[in-house]
Amino acid sequence: MRRKNRWSACLSTGLMLFTAGIGLAQTKPKVAFVPQIVGIPYFNAMEEGGKDAAEKFGVQFVYTGPTDTNPAEQLRIVNGLIDQGVAAVSLSVLDASSIDPVMKKAKEKGVKIFTSDSDAPKSDREVYVAQALDQDLGYTIIDELAKRIGEQGTIGIVSGEATATNLNTWIGFMQQRVKEKYPKINLLPPQFAGGTAQRAFQLATDLMTAHPDLKGLIAVASTTCPGVAQAIESSGKIGKVVGTGYGSPNTVRAYLNSGAFGFSVLWNPRDLGYLTVWAGKQLIDGKPFAESNSVPGLDQPVKYDSATKVLLLGPPTVFTKENVDQYKF
Amino acid sequence: MSWKRWLFGRRELTLALACVAVAVFFQFLSPYFLTTDNLITILRNSVELLLVSLGITFVLATAGIDIAVGGALGICAIFVGWSVQGGWPLVVVVLIGPLVGTGLGLVSAFLIVQGKIPPIIATLGLFGVYRAAIFLLLGGSWISGLPDTLGPAVNTTIAGIPLTAIYILFFYFIGWVVIRWVPLGIAIRATGGNERAARLSGVSIGRTKFFVYGFTGLLVGCAAFLYVARYRNVETSTGGLIALDAIVASVLGGTSVLGGKANLLGAMFGVLLVRLLQNGFVLIGVPSLWEQVITGVLLIGVLILDALAERSHAQGRPRNRGNAPPWLATP
Amino acid sequence: MVGNAMISAFKQIRFGGLLVLWLVALLIFAVFAPAFFTPANFNSVLQFSTLLALVTLGQTLVVLTGGGGIDLSVGGIVSLSGLVIASLMKAEVPVLIAALAGILSGGLLGSINGFIITRLRLLPLIVTLGTYYAYNGLALALTGGAPISGLPVSFGSLGQQSILAFPLHTLVLVAPIFLVLQFTLNQTPLGRWVYAVGSNEKAARLVGLPVAMIRLGVYSLSGVLAALAGLVADSWLLSARPNIGDNLELLSLTATLLGGTSIFGGSGGLGGSLAAVLFFTSLQVGLQMLNVNSIWQLGLVGIFLIVSVLLDRMIRTAETK
Repeated sequence: MRRKNRWSACLSTGLMLFTAGIGLAQTKPKVAFVPQIVGIPYFNAMEEGGKDAAEKFGVQFVYTGPTDTNPAEQLRIVNGLIDQGVAAVSLSVLDASSIDPVMKKAKEKGVKIFTSDSDAPKSDREVYVAQALDQDLGYTIIDELAKRIGEQGTIGIVSGEATATNLNTWIGFMQQRVKEKYPKINLLPPQFAGGTAQRAFQLATDLMTAHPDLKGLIAVASTTCPGVAQAIESSGKIGKVVGTGYGSPNTVRAYLNSGAFGFSVLWNPRDLGYLTVWAGKQLIDGKPFAESNSVPGLDQPVKYDSATKVLLLGPPTVFTKENVDQYKF
Repeated sequence: MSWKRWLFGRRELTLALACVAVAVFFQFLSPYFLTTDNLITILRNSVELLLVSLGITFVLATAGIDIAVGGALGICAIFVGWSVQGGWPLVVVVLIGPLVGTGLGLVSAFLIVQGKIPPIIATLGLFGVYRAAIFLLLGGSWISGLPDTLGPAVNTTIAGIPLTAIYILFFYFIGWVVIRWVPLGIAIRATGGNERAARLSGVSIGRTKFFVYGFTGLLVGCAAFLYVARYRNVETSTGGLIALDAIVASVLGGTSVLGGKANLLGAMFGVLLVRLLQNGFVLIGVPSLWEQVITGVLLIGVLILDALAERSHAQGRPRNRGNAPPWLATP
Repeated sequence: MVGNAMISAFKQIRFGGLLVLWLVALLIFAVFAPAFFTPANFNSVLQFSTLLALVTLGQTLVVLTGGGGIDLSVGGIVSLSGLVIASLMKAEVPVLIAALAGILSGGLLGSINGFIITRLRLLPLIVTLGTYYAYNGLALALTGGAPISGLPVSFGSLGQQSILAFPLHTLVLVAPIFLVLQFTLNQTPLGRWVYAVGSNEKAARLVGLPVAMIRLGVYSLSGVLAALAGLVADSWLLSARPNIGDNLELLSLTATLLGGTSIFGGSGGLGGSLAAVLFFTSLQVGLQMLNVNSIWQLGLVGIFLIVSVLLDRMIRTAETK
């Protein structure tokens, strides 16, 4: 009897202290970011940026995401975060309509919901923190490639998941650019490699076999860059085929140096994560975005377009053999 | 005997013919198909699946199943990748894959033999565990941009024959020897054919199963080594559902999921057929998204043809389609 | 005597094993994530469990009929029927008809499985593996990976609305279907037949039960349930994605096994499966509240599966001693 009493006393005191502790810890507002999938370097970099910003701006950063590119999973996580009382939730949208079901709930609870890295433009999100405009991303990669292959020839595309909206948007802009500006370029329909280097390698190799006069290969999605680059290397086509893709300097450095990749187009995902958390803090504090914002910690001022509610990190960066060593991400 | 029976009675032959037919078909539509380069590329890209399918064929022969091989492949690849990154001595790099793989295979065997858990449940559970382990080991990032130290292992050719072909032939030869000539091979087929009878005849079921899963693990480890050597990248999705692809290839090759037989040559041609189709489609411009459908239809088609052939072949013979199929059975 | 008492204690643990695990999890949530116990969260858990619940009910029935019964193609059926419904709706077909068409297509896809398995006496594992590739691949290939979005907002009520913290689809679909199936399974001759076929096929055949028909029916029903899940998914997200059904096959199989249904067929039931589904979902939601990476869940579930079967085995051996 007595032992039980002592036990329950200890337990309840412990619980009380704990809940008090949790209560105290709750004073810092939480800003969350939900990537499309956890476990890939790109989003890990965003996470790091987010953590840095959280420290600097006095918020708690929550980073959690699906283990598969499954919009239902993403939705569940976002939903859970709203229930938890996170002040601002951002996500890299997998499917535009996967954010709508929770939009109403978020507004009711006063939770600021916004997008980053990949958008759902038709939803009522507070802001879209964009790395670069989708159009710019698509156009730049084609323009740079065209420069290097002489505005004519066949170009292949190896994409990641067929179901990723942002990737398909970029491909769409690529196709548009080619149609408008480079009629002599034959842009092949995209092949989808899923998430593995092996499949990307296989598809890239097969494309080069199918079109011996292939001049360029675009790896859409950071996950396909290694496979495509290696395919170019292994097939001995360095110099004949110009590889490129949306890959980070660390990922593509080796390939830029070997010549498999002529260049790569990206932005700094760390900065993007950083900006996302800053934006979340602004939303929580109710501070509107100016046309040009100077964000402590970021070198360049960040532009904001109030018509589309887009916060733009900056123009896409083109990495080449010459400048790749300046960047460490 | 009728030429039909001779030709189609042996699955490997049928598949080989199918491969030739497919090759001719694609060559017709794309002149680049039957080039040495392309064929060697196809071979090099199929190594992992060929090795895993060999193991799966053995497993299926015992009326077992192993869904976890994909996860095991990933884990082995991580270790190989780490050893390359860490600049460890070549001996370690070469051996660590097979060692880890064999270890993981023995874990499966342990659960199945000692734990008496039906193979599908044991390996299904382990698959989840392995996938989680991969995430934890990688810490959320990939192993990428590995130096090309292992390149020669996969990229060299000796007198025009790629080294990878030699690996494949080597392992398949060993497998063939075991299945055909070594008592263990007979034990494997006996276990699959009728486990109870096998045990009564004195076959050591436990040891047989340990061998089969361990051997598969070894092959998975080797496949992981070759994977890292060729693609120089290990990501969280490495390995994935390769188990299913391997089962498809084995079944196409004539190995029955019910156990009792193992058609190694068939499995090899099964893999090659699938890979030829994949390659061919890209070459003729069919979107790669249609591959899965083709694989599925191919599998079902083969199953139906098989069943019909057996029907007309063995009218009236009692079939053992009793209760639970052997691979669910427990000792 | 002591042995018997211990055995019945173990039995209770086995039946309650899942419940015990669940209680432990709930306790942990209670202490570390009290937000778990709000009506809003309760609603969320039910919301997110519907897809898996519907598919698992079908999977359980399939497994119950024995003969190595398994349906790996359910994910593909969910995706495909979801696509059928969505494309019909975009073509201005009235909602009800589109839904019916989708459900019929699911039944059709499921009966293809059943037909091949029963007519040709093939192993379900390998047949549904083939249809897994075929159906999933078809969903991807036909859409090129792109979702069909922009479904009419009015359609969203099924998937998105709730009454008193219970999502509409739980009230209108999951609960009634579960009750009907449970009743049929336990109180009607048809249900007894299902169990009979699962526990001893030869005997069932000798007694004159239409084994093939029952199995065919079960696979078709699994297809119908998968189609219903596709319907709910479409309504919920107001779009149809070709990969919405991903992973559902392995998850539903795990839930079925975890819920106490034997992989050999003949024993187990829907109640356990449903409990397992709710357990999964609440675990997912709860872990996420604790900010634990969802990858742990994969591993934990795998371990649960193995442990529960081990326990089961130990109890069986103890019983037969």
